[in-house]
Amino acid sequence: MTTVLTPRAEQRVERLHEIWDERPGVLGWLTTVDHKRIGLLYLFTTMAFFLAGGVEALLMRTQLAQPNEHVVSPGTFNELFTTHGVTMIFFAVIPMQIGAFGNYLVPLMIGARDMAFPRLNALSYWIFLASGLFLYAGVFTGHAPNAGWFDYVPIALRRYNPGPNVDFYALALIFTGISTTIGAINLVVTIFKNRAPGMSLNRMPLFCFAILATSFSLIFALPSLTVDLVFLELQRKAGFHFFDVGHGGDPLLWQHLFWIFAHPEVYIIVLPAFGIATSIIPTFARRKMLAFPLVALAELLVAFIGFGVWAHHMFATGLPLIAIVFFAAASMMVVIPSTIQVFAWTLTVTMGRPLFKAPLMFIGGFIVFFVLGGLSGISFAAIPIDQATTDTYYVVAHFHFIIFGAAVFPLLGGLFFWFPKVTGRLYNEPLAQAAFWLTFAGTAITFFPMHIAGWLGMTRRIYTYPSHTGWGTYNLIESVGGFILAAGLVLVAFNLVWSRLHGPPSGRDPFFGGTLEWTTESPPPHYNFAVIPRVSSPYPNWDVADREEDAQDLDRGTRVFDEGHETPATTVRDGYLDDVLEMPSESGWPIVIALCVTLLFVLVLLSHYVSAVAFAGIAALALAVWHWREPEPEPL
Amino acid sequence: MTEAVVPARPRAASSNGWWGMVGFVATEATLFGVLIGTYLYLRVRAVHWPPPGTPEPKVVLPLVLAGILAATSIPIFLGSRAATAGLARRAQAFFLIALVVQSAYFGIQVYEMASDLDEFTPQQNSYGSIYYTLLGADHAHVAVGILMSAWLVLRLVSGLTRYRLAAVRAIAFYWYAVSVIAVVVALCLTSAAL
Repeated sequence: MTTVLTPRAEQRVERLHEIWDERPGVLGWLTTVDHKRIGLLYLFTTMAFFLAGGVEALLMRTQLAQPNEHVVSPGTFNELFTTHGVTMIFFAVIPMQIGAFGNYLVPLMIGARDMAFPRLNALSYWIFLASGLFLYAGVFTGHAPNAGWFDYVPIALRRYNPGPNVDFYALALIFTGISTTIGAINLVVTIFKNRAPGMSLNRMPLFCFAILATSFSLIFALPSLTVDLVFLELQRKAGFHFFDVGHGGDPLLWQHLFWIFAHPEVYIIVLPAFGIATSIIPTFARRKMLAFPLVALAELLVAFIGFGVWAHHMFATGLPLIAIVFFAAASMMVVIPSTIQVFAWTLTVTMGRPLFKAPLMFIGGFIVFFVLGGLSGISFAAIPIDQATTDTYYVVAHFHFIIFGAAVFPLLGGLFFWFPKVTGRLYNEPLAQAAFWLTFAGTAITFFPMHIAGWLGMTRRIYTYPSHTGWGTYNLIESVGGFILAAGLVLVAFNLVWSRLHGPPSGRDPFFGGTLEWTTESPPPHYNFAVIPRVSSPYPNWDVADREEDAQDLDRGTRVFDEGHETPATTVRDGYLDDVLEMPSESGWPIVIALCVTLLFVLVLLSHYVSAVAFAGIAALALAVWHWREPEPEPL
Repeated sequence: MTEAVVPARPRAASSNGWWGMVGFVATEATLFGVLIGTYLYLRVRAVHWPPPGTPEPKVVLPLVLAGILAATSIPIFLGSRAATAGLARRAQAFFLIALVVQSAYFGIQVYEMASDLDEFTPQQNSYGSIYYTLLGADHAHVAVGILMSAWLVLRLVSGLTRYRLAAVRAIAFYWYAVSVIAVVVALCLTSAAL
């Protein structure tokens, strides 16, 4: 869509630039509150962590490729699988989905100019970055976490694990939990309150429903992990008794609290992936999403049921039978909303006129792996199967199909899909398709044989195995697959970097997408939309009349909101215009507070509690000063 | 021509800041839910609660104190209403009254906790561990509220703005939640003596 601006409209756009543009250079990035810049910071950071987690995975696959290998020592292997799991889940996949995709896309999709709390958004990023560096400070000083990503007690207690490894784990996760909580609250309020006028809930993009469901899950699931980690640190550092039987504690308490968080976490990982799928599918199938309200409800329902199934991770711990049966039944229920979505996706593709470009191919791969991983997932609801396969490679196979196949594939598809929006350039299609086939084959070859190895009795977390077990062939295939997968990912990265530099210009809307982000320029300006768009359906970019009206509004000066740093606020359900908000601009406070909080955690790690409290005080003072200055004091 | 885009009326719905506080309180309330859940979990698995050698918790004083803290919701509510009506001085006075009571509550609680520590420690057994952790979290919650209220009272010196009104409503909501949580925690902890 090429739009010729009238002189009046041009003037307004210029004014918006003056109001919204941020400082140039590095300082601009350090003090930014622009959700797009913060989204990109998240993206680059999570990609770095993804690379680290990937290298750890390849080291493990090298060690396991043959029986009786000694590439790494058993201790290092423990650190590798623990750090790999923690990195991929907490520092790569989830923050890439919520922090990078959620941050960048949600305001664009709902027609807002920024998040509800732009400075908190920046704080969330800096705390995330600091917590990741904190974890890797442990890795590089030789104290990587080593008790598995779920860090079961008693192995994680001081008596059996005297080094600071587990402290790095626990404190890094409490630390990053602050960032995640802030981010989740910010997204919920943004989605509730800052949608463009006219975007009632039933017209909200399904991606935003998915992010909403994820954020709710995080708000209600994370406290359980935080409390668990605080208990662990109190026991390790201060001699409290939560997990040792001798003093009235209970090791199973750790597992309950961990999984009350970590099963919802599984859905937190896949829900944004569902959201990406529901963005890509209608665009390339060239029709509206089938069963739109059902899919929206299913996304929320998955998040809700996710809270009632945690104990299926604990069927082998000797829980009472009645509890096991309850959780097995609840686990079966997750099938219903998942299946609704799978049918909605596949039927939307088959009933449309699909264009099989790279993003849709990645979604195809996602559906395949989600169904396969889902089927092995249901098998755990059958209690005997669960008990037989607990802690075997069958479980590893299952959750890698889900986490890599069903969560990372949509991320890769999404990277290509929104690449033109973010950079203003097109990616290379043939190269992207080649990368898809490589990663698809790599994923299948790496993770499928793990099912068999698991049934043959290969247990998780072993650093090597004798040759007579017969697991050698499967492991060799898996390791080869791992390197094919890595090659595919390198090709994806190469494509993105090369296209960023040499890709042809894409224009606003190369794929004729349906949601609002495609109505604005690529890359979007700091103010996102010159005119706050009008919305009268779930696919506003396909409502041509509305978009023409927007252009006229720019000329007339209606819905431009160029009196200051402004964005409209609307009512939660109906999206009626309620107020015009004056948004804060660039601020150095978020990074200052993140630094204080970092020092606080470092000092707690080193057991200097008084100084730690001092930094908590400084952080509180900084918060008070931050909120002392108002965006623009408006009398009542 | 087109619809009026800026409403002439004062804003009808709650502000972003209030919604943000609701989200924060939701996650905090869950945190207390998990702590109380842990308390009950450890309790049902124990033979004696509190274990022999550990004194039973006081009943009257904690409940009375929790009641007093909950009662500060009244001046908070009145202050919030005054702020909505644009009366900065009144709002400030009500929040200040509440702040004095809340600070006194906090001081007595810290003193009580210190004297509890003379009798039994969190390192003694799981009862002591969860007792002090739950109580400590509760007090920390009150301390955060006191800091926010102090900020607000100082900020109201130079009158009300829309931004500060949002802060008034958000901080008032926080205190309502703290009151409920403090009462629930007090009931939970004193129940060991019943």
